[in-house]
Amino acid sequence: MRFLRHDQHSLSGAYALDALEGGAERDRFTRHMGRCQSCASEVRGFREVATALAFATAAEPPPELRDRVLAAAARTRQLPPEVRTHARPRRTRAWTPWVPWISGVVATASIVVAVLFGFAQAHTQQQLNQVQAENEAISLLLSSPQVTLLSHSTTKGGVATVVLAAARHQLVVWTSGLPALPVGKVYQLWLIGKTKTVSAGLLPPATSSGRTAAVLASGVVKGDTLGLTVEPAPGSAQPTTTPILALPLPV
Amino acid sequence: MNPSDSDASRFKSAATDRRGERDLDDLLVHVARGDTEAFEAVYDRLVGPVYGVIRRVLRDPSQSEEVTQEVLLEVWRMAARFDPAMGGAATWVMTIAHRRAIDRVRSTTAAADREHRTAEVHTPHDEVAEAVEASLDRERVRRCLEGLTEVQRESITLAYYGGYSYREVAGLLKVTLGAIKTRIRDGLIRMRDCLGVS
Repeated sequence: MRFLRHDQHSLSGAYALDALEGGAERDRFTRHMGRCQSCASEVRGFREVATALAFATAAEPPPELRDRVLAAAARTRQLPPEVRTHARPRRTRAWTPWVPWISGVVATASIVVAVLFGFAQAHTQQQLNQVQAENEAISLLLSSPQVTLLSHSTTKGGVATVVLAAARHQLVVWTSGLPALPVGKVYQLWLIGKTKTVSAGLLPPATSSGRTAAVLASGVVKGDTLGLTVEPAPGSAQPTTTPILALPLPV
Repeated sequence: MNPSDSDASRFKSAATDRRGERDLDDLLVHVARGDTEAFEAVYDRLVGPVYGVIRRVLRDPSQSEEVTQEVLLEVWRMAARFDPAMGGAATWVMTIAHRRAIDRVRSTTAAADREHRTAEVHTPHDEVAEAVEASLDRERVRRCLEGLTEVQRESITLAYYGGYSYREVAGLLKVTLGAIKTRIRDGLIRMRDCLGVS
């Protein structure tokens, strides 16, 4: 077993250069990286070396390629972001009560981090990895140098709290006290832009205390408003009801 | 300091043109929202290395153009899936570009060409020298490649620029599979240190 592991590890270079022969071998190493953080970060570094190798062999393509690519893009539909919801553990701890009187965002953020880490209880290794990855992404966001804390009530009652890291184009949202929805309905978040509205994910079901776990949304740009609507499960491609929250984001 | 900051600064100290690497990350976020101007800027910034590396692997200019177009469209389509925490935008795009080139080279239609290509492997070292121009970036990459042992350098250039799998590289260099894996990895570690990528 140890030998096998070691053997896997030594494939990091070949993997980063796309020199594994596809299929099983490649999948096996991808799985291995999921368990081996040092392998994953080694591959990241090697890919940067590969990028330098690519820049070192840069060449001028025929100029007409530019128009062809731009025209093709104009008729190609873009994929929505992968919605990343903080995974829900099976057992939950009581939440630290929300402390609105703490003034510094940093202090608030650190409480949030503590709470989120406290939440990281999951039963399978995979669940645990996922929760950890999410927690890392969220704590990274919360520890970025400039974050803005926003909080607003919805027209149906309850409050949404947002930590916005404009420089990272990301935000974290969680809510408390939203009315429970009938079966077949979900709360969906949106980034409402000047020209386009994109889904920012579904709110996970609330705990018995009425709070939802944090949702991380990426791709926030200048002029965006954070919207929240009630949608038929499993969510819609575009909002179909009037937002119960429309919070302009100071990006 | 978040990871994309540190990636960007590491990147700046590395060998390639990394001016505005941070901007490139931002541009990609705008591309994800359908911003065509941002996409044009990304195109102008990255088409050179994308086309360059694809042509290096495929050799055939018209196939290379086709694959370059596929790669840039994939960047447009998938921009929302770009995660700055996993590395810079340039690395994300180059990873897509190289993988697409490899897929093409290993597809059955390319099989015939492949025989031909295998027959005409020049010494990778000369190839690198050929491609190197006066640019400082290229110069740094070349110098770092020169700092490797011959087997390390040949395995890396055959795998990355030649598009050969490590098994094929082992066959070409007449070295065992275990040895080739180690040579590639050791060589990349040396390159990483030499280029200032942590």
